Amino acid sequence: MKTVSRGEPMDATVLRELRAIVGADHVRHADGDVAAYARDATPLFSARPGAVVHPGSTEEVSAVLKLAGARSVPVVPRGAGSNLCAATVPLSGGIVLVLTRLDRILEISADELLAVCQPGVTTAELSGAVAAHGLLYAPDPGSRTVATIGGTIATCAGGLRGLKYGVTRNYVLGLQAVLATGEVVRTGGRLWKDVAGYDLTRLLTGSEGTLGVITEATVALTPAPEASGTGLAYFATLADAGRAVARIIGSGLLPATLEFLDARCIDAVESYARLGLRTDAGALLLFGDDGDASPVGRHLARMAELCLVEGALDATVAGAAAESEALLAARRCALPALSRLGSVTILEDASVPRPRIAEMVDRIDAIAGRHDLTIATFGHAGDGNLHPTCIVDAGDTDATERAHHAFGDIFRTAMELGGTITGEHGVGAAKLPYLTERLGAGQMALLRRIKAAFDPAGILNPGKLGS
Amino acid sequence: MNGFTPELLDRCISCGFCLPACPTYALTKDETSSPRGRITLMRALEEGTLPGNDLRLQEESSFCLGCRACETVCPAGVQYGALLEEWRDRQWQGTRRPLIVWLLMSAVNSPWRVRLLGLFRRHARTRPSPSGPHLMLGCFERALYPEVSRAARRLHPELAAPAAQGCCGALHAHNGDSARGRQMAAELGERLPGTIVTTSGGCAAHLADVLGRDRVKEISEYSTGEDLPETGARIALQDSCHLRNGLGVWREPRALLERMGEYVELPSAGSCCGAAGSYALVRPRDSARILDAKLDEIEAAGIDYLAVVNPGCHRQLEQGLRRRKSSVRVVHLAELAAGAVRPADR
Ligand SMILES: Cc1cc2nc3c(=O)[nH]c(=O)nc-3n(C[C@H](O)[C@H](O)[C@H](O)COP(=O)(O)OP(=O)(O)OC[C@H]3O[C@@H](n4cnc5c(N)ncnc54)[C@H](O)[C@@H]3O)c2cc1C
Ligand code: SF4
Ligand code: SF4
Repeated sequence: MKTVSRGEPMDATVLRELRAIVGADHVRHADGDVAAYARDATPLFSARPGAVVHPGSTEEVSAVLKLAGARSVPVVPRGAGSNLCAATVPLSGGIVLVLTRLDRILEISADELLAVCQPGVTTAELSGAVAAHGLLYAPDPGSRTVATIGGTIATCAGGLRGLKYGVTRNYVLGLQAVLATGEVVRTGGRLWKDVAGYDLTRLLTGSEGTLGVITEATVALTPAPEASGTGLAYFATLADAGRAVARIIGSGLLPATLEFLDARCIDAVESYARLGLRTDAGALLLFGDDGDASPVGRHLARMAELCLVEGALDATVAGAAAESEALLAARRCALPALSRLGSVTILEDASVPRPRIAEMVDRIDAIAGRHDLTIATFGHAGDGNLHPTCIVDAGDTDATERAHHAFGDIFRTAMELGGTITGEHGVGAAKLPYLTERLGAGQMALLRRIKAAFDPAGILNPGKLGS
Repeated sequence: MNGFTPELLDRCISCGFCLPACPTYALTKDETSSPRGRITLMRALEEGTLPGNDLRLQEESSFCLGCRACETVCPAGVQYGALLEEWRDRQWQGTRRPLIVWLLMSAVNSPWRVRLLGLFRRHARTRPSPSGPHLMLGCFERALYPEVSRAARRLHPELAAPAAQGCCGALHAHNGDSARGRQMAAELGERLPGTIVTTSGGCAAHLADVLGRDRVKEISEYSTGEDLPETGARIALQDSCHLRNGLGVWREPRALLERMGEYVELPSAGSCCGAAGSYALVRPRDSARILDAKLDEIEAAGIDYLAVVNPGCHRQLEQGLRRRKSSVRVVHLAELAAGAVRPADR
C-alpha cells in the first residue's frame, strides 16, 4: 500500500521551456521544493514529482500541457491537495500543476443565480462571497475552508447537505477546461437547460484531473435560507437510528442535515472534547433543516418526535444558534477526536442504500474485530455515505497491512449491499484496485476509451481513473 | 543533534486545514510555504530524505513567521509552535543563524545586558517585592517604549518593577536555542516571585509555557475592574499572535477597548502584522509585504488609535504608518487605559 519514490529528475530542456511559459519563479524542481507535493491528505501514499508548476492563466496551462504532451511528461493537476484518495500523488513523477494562483471570483450574478470563478478559489471563499449577496453555494464538504472549487468539481465533492441539496455535480453549469492536447474547451454555460450535445460538464465533474484541467467554472447558486436549526437524538443501537432516519424521510420531510456517529465515535469525541455526550448510547443522530424560520422550527420538532417514536433514548432541538453550534460540535469533533487515538488516521468512504446503513456499520464492526483493528464510523445518514475510520500507529506495519485487508473487505461488503467503494472522496490511486469490481470489465474499457479521446498521450494524472 | 519529538510530528494528519490560516501561504499559494508543507519538510529531515543543508529547508524554517495561526484551525491539535522551535534548534546552528538574530540574542542574554538596554530610558522602576505581583519590563520594550511600563504601573500601582529581571527568553526559544530560552524564563520566574504581569503578548506566551499558565497575566487579562478613561475616539486593535493563538487571549483586550471608545474590529486584526519577533529585521521584504495589506485596511477604517499589546507589533505598525504619513496613532493598550494619551496627541 505504501508507495515512496524520490521522483525522476526533470529533463533540463523541459524545465527551460516550462520557465519560458510561466516564468522562472513558478517552476520548481529542487528536492526541497517538490518534497511537499509528494502527498496530499491521504496517508501512506507518497511520491515526489519532477517539477512543480504554478501557472497564472488558462493560456499558460494550455502551453504547459502542449509541452508535456509533446515530451510525454505526466501532469497531475492539484488544488489544495486535501483529497483523501491519493488523487494528486504523482505516482509516475512528472509535473504537479498547481492551480492555486488562479484564485479570483470573476462574477456573482444575483439575477441569474450564478457565480463564475477560477479553480483556485476555496469553497469557503466562494460561499462567503455569495452569502454577502444573500445567496448560497450549496456544496458543503467538511473541508470547505481549504478545498478549491477546481478540486471539488474534479472530485464531485459531497458534504453535509447532500440529501436536500445534492452534491457538487448538481451545481456546475459550465466549465472552461484545457485538454491534455492543450485545446481549450468551454462546456455548458450559464444555462439551467441546455441539452446540446453530450454532457461534457458532467463528464469533467468527478474526472479527478484525468480528462482535463479546469481553469474556470460557472456554478449555480440558490437564495440563502432565512433560518437553520439543529437537533440531536441518542439511540441504543444504530439500527434504531436507521429506522428513525427511514421514518423521517418517509414522512415527507427532507432534512438539510442527517449525520450519525457510532458508539466508538461518541466515546472518542466525549473523551476528547467533554461535550457531555451520552456514552451509554449506541448511536447519535444529528438532524437539521433550513429554510423559512417557522417551517424549520416545525420540521425540527417533528423530527425529534419521530426519533422518539422509533425508540430514541433522548431527542432535543437546539433553541438558539449557539446551541445548534454546540450540537454540531459533536460531529465536527469526530475526526480530530479519532485522530488522537493513534498516529495514522485512515479516513475512508463507502456508500450503501440508505436503509442498509445500520447493517453496514454492524458488518464494519465485525470486519474490524476479525482484523483486530479499531474502526469507528461516522457519516451522512441522509445519503447512506459512511466514513469508517481506522486508527493505527505509524510504525506498526502489520496493523497497516491488516487495515488494508479490512478496507478491502469493507468495500466488497458495501458493493454486496448494493453500495459503492466511494461516495464522495473519489477513486484516485487508493481505490483504483477496487474499481473493476465495482464497474465490471466492460465499463472499465469504456472509461479507458473516454480517457483516450480526451488524453490520447495518456499524460494527465496517470495511474488514476481511466488507467 | 536532537531529532523532533515523535509525538509532536506524528500528530499531523496532513488534512491541509491550516493552509488558509497561514500568512505565508496566502502570499505564495505554495504548499511548501504552508504549515502542512513545512511539516512535510520536517518529516523529510527527520527521515533523512532531505539533508539538513537543503536550501529550501533552510529557507522555509526562516520564512515561517512563527505566528501559530495554523494551530488555531488544526483539527488534530498539532503544536506547530513547539515543532518550529525544534526545527530551528536543529537548523539554526552556528553560522546558519542570521547574524542580526545572533546579535539580538547576545544583547539580552544576561540580566545586566538587559538593564543596559534600558539604562537611559525612563521605564518604570521599583524595588523587588518578596511575593509579587511583578511587572515584566521586557528587554526591547523597556528600551523602545519605556512609557508603556510607566502606564502599566499608573494603572496598577501595586506592581513591583525591579530593573534587574532579565529577559524572558522568547527570542532564544524562537531562534534556535529553545533550551536557553526555557532557562531564561525559569530564571526570570525566580527573580520575580508571584504573579508576573506583562505588557507583551509574545513574552506572556513563552513565560506561560515554561512557568505555567497561572503564574502569568497579560495586562489586558489582569485589568478588569479599573476605571477606564472614555477617549471618545475610534480605536482598533492589532492582536499579538502568540497571545491570541498561543494563550487564547483576544476577547479581553477588546472588552477593555470597548469601554474606552468606539471599538472598530479590523478584518485582519487577528492575523500577523509581519513583526513576528525578530522577523521584521531578518526578512524586511517579506515582513513589509505582510504589513502592507494591513496598512491599507487601517487607513481605510477611519480610526484615531490602533491599540497594540506587544512591542514588536508596536514598532512594526508605528513605522509602517509613519512611512505612509498616516494620522492614525499606534499606542499600547496600557497607555490608553492609564489615560496616558492626551487628546492633543490625536
Ligand atoms: C478533514 C477532511 C474532510 C473532508 N470532507 C469531505 C467531505 O465532506 N466531502 C467530500 O466530498 N470530500 C471531503 N474531503 C476530501 C477533499 O476535501 C475533497 O476531495 C476536495 O474536493 C478536494 O479539493 P482540493 O482542492 O483539495 O483538490 P485536490 O486534492 O488538490 O485534488 C483532488 C482531485 O482533483 C483534481 N484537480 C484539482 N484541481 C483541478 C483542476 N483545476 N482541474 C482538474 N482537476 C483538478 C486533482 O488532480 C485530483 O484528482 C475531506 C478531506 C479532509 C482532509
Ligand atoms: S491542520 Fe493540523 S493536522 Fe491538518 S495539515 Fe495542518 S497541521 Fe497537519
Ligand atoms: S506559524 Fe504562521 S507562518 Fe508559520 S506555518 Fe503557521 S501560520 Fe504559517
